[in-house]
Amino acid sequence: MRLIPRLAPAACAELLSVDLTSERVERAPYPLTAARLGGVSVAVELLASAIGGPLDPLSPENPLVFAPGPFAGTAVPAATKHAVATISPLTGRLTDGLSSSHWSGALRRLGLSALIVQGARANWTVLAIDDTGVRFLDGTALLGLSPAQTTQRLREMLGGRHWRVAAIGPAGESGVRFATIDNDGRQAGRGGAGAVMGSKRLKAIALASGTDSAFEIADPERVQTISRALRERALGPDTAKYRVLGTGANLRVLQRMGMLPTRNFSSASFEGAERVTPERAREEPEAYLERRSGCANCPVQCEHMYVRRTRDRKAASASEYESVWAFGPNCGVDDLDAVLDAVGRCDAYGLDTISAGGTIAFAMECAARGLIDVDAFGTPLRFGNAAVLAPAIDAIACGEGLGATLGLGVRAAAEAIGGGAEVLALHVKGLELPGYEPRALPTYALALAVCTRGACHNRAAAYDVDLRNPGQVLPDEARAAAVIDAEDTAIAWDALVLCKFTRHCFDDFWSEGATLWSAVTGEPLDPAGLRDVARRTWQRKRALNEKLGWTPAEDVLPVRLGEPLREGPYAGARIDSASLERQRWIYETLRS
Amino acid sequence: MTIELFGMARELVGAPSVRLDVDEPVPLRSVLEELAAQYPQLVGQVLAPLTHAPLDPNVVLLDGRRAHGLDEPVSDADRPCLLFLPSGG
Ligand code: SF4
Repeated sequence: MRLIPRLAPAACAELLSVDLTSERVERAPYPLTAARLGGVSVAVELLASAIGGPLDPLSPENPLVFAPGPFAGTAVPAATKHAVATISPLTGRLTDGLSSSHWSGALRRLGLSALIVQGARANWTVLAIDDTGVRFLDGTALLGLSPAQTTQRLREMLGGRHWRVAAIGPAGESGVRFATIDNDGRQAGRGGAGAVMGSKRLKAIALASGTDSAFEIADPERVQTISRALRERALGPDTAKYRVLGTGANLRVLQRMGMLPTRNFSSASFEGAERVTPERAREEPEAYLERRSGCANCPVQCEHMYVRRTRDRKAASASEYESVWAFGPNCGVDDLDAVLDAVGRCDAYGLDTISAGGTIAFAMECAARGLIDVDAFGTPLRFGNAAVLAPAIDAIACGEGLGATLGLGVRAAAEAIGGGAEVLALHVKGLELPGYEPRALPTYALALAVCTRGACHNRAAAYDVDLRNPGQVLPDEARAAAVIDAEDTAIAWDALVLCKFTRHCFDDFWSEGATLWSAVTGEPLDPAGLRDVARRTWQRKRALNEKLGWTPAEDVLPVRLGEPLREGPYAGARIDSASLERQRWIYETLRS
Repeated sequence: MTIELFGMARELVGAPSVRLDVDEPVPLRSVLEELAAQYPQLVGQVLAPLTHAPLDPNVVLLDGRRAHGLDEPVSDADRPCLLFLPSGG
């Protein structure tokens, strides 16, 4: 079957459905209307319509949906991105993530509004998709390879660098529940989309879109003008902290503010923060080599990668805040080299760094309480022991020994370990917590509790409300309304799939985002329409979770957060479950 | 008075903190004016060109909370710091 035989208007995209079991491939019109926009709203709509009720996330019945942003493959900067949605093996609920690379652009340039993969293969397979159609290739020879190695090998096999590859690593193959899907060094899949792909025995999806795009931009001049202005702003002070320093610079600030979760959230201040901040590597150019990288078509290139000058430059690891926090302060480790090595290992295995670090921190505390063997990884599983990070990550990725239990994520691992380990498991709905202290950030705390994905900081940047006014007392109604606004805003960004790091480049996101969408697709959209899509998409997310068995009892925070912080500017702060429940109730009332 | 610096402010000044020679307590406005005068590289990047107020996402914290406004009196005991609001990552 030929895909994309003609140049179509940007809005007239198609849905490609691939059933791995039967090898049935279908394509059908699935236009990017103003009611759909693209990205996460499309992915959630498709996933919700394909699911009838509770299912095993690692069964063939779990669909895996990829939906490019409407601006992917166009001149719009920081927007060549796609959404991934599936049912998470960590939470049993929706997980919707974003990633960004030329793979996203290829998906869009093939004229697709989405790709939905269902069923499972008997043998390891690669899907190769170009404008001649879809091929099912044997993927057995790629087993055990990292995503980067898989990409290289597939390009050799398929004949060219124009093939863009999304692949899982060994962690996805062995079913680690927080495995990611990697594309060109960028990852999607907090919540284990890589494990879902692995359960389908799908090692990779390779795309080649050719040089000509399959879609036509409605108003190319307008898109160029807006893109040029955005690009200029993205090179100015509005994004300087990302461009010059990277998100790793958050570490020092959060430490100064007393909001840096430390040793499995037993404290909010880490005495080794200065030694492990990625800014240290930047400030010691004689010791560390820095490489910049980032997403396709983005002038910011916010990824700052570091490696000791004594090592190969190719061994440079990403230094994003969340990753460094997860293996640094959260594990009590103050050895920057060990932390960077841990991040690099996770990328090679295809593991989510936040969940991997959170799981190891949980294991360290379990070992301290005698619930598991402190020597399970050959060196003490103790807070602060940098040497244990590498063997623990290796064991998790390969499903060996205690690593197999930890690869289930903290919630399921705590159940398996027993003995009260549940109180040491820092998660919401099964997804491990990211690196902001909820006891110091009450609006963020509510957003984490109600988030449809579990403990995700990116589905609502509600911490912004708290950080702008640290310590401020807000009425419950205002707090709940702020969470709703933060969620809807995030969904709008994720439907247009624009990078949130460029938010200061917009004067009025709602009207500029709508204008940009209209200029690309030719379909009218105003700010109210954009808000409507955000609201409807949230309703779809919630309805999907309800179909899967969600109840309000899941919208709670870990027991540990009910214990007061012992020191720092927020000493005494705790999550009061009755007050959280009241806020949650108001949130529900406002939502309905 | 000592002001701690984080993020782009630290990067541009090249030091983790700076000492300003001002009589305490002093309105925050005067502190920022003095900072802009001593470190003009901050203007347009971290401090607004005319008012010298911190440009979003930079803020001044006094005693761990956000300064109420440019007229708020500041002294060394407030441990003033100029930092950015963390996000994402
Ligand atoms: S700012 Fe960073 S995360 Fe955002 S699109 Fe650019 S490189 Fe990617």
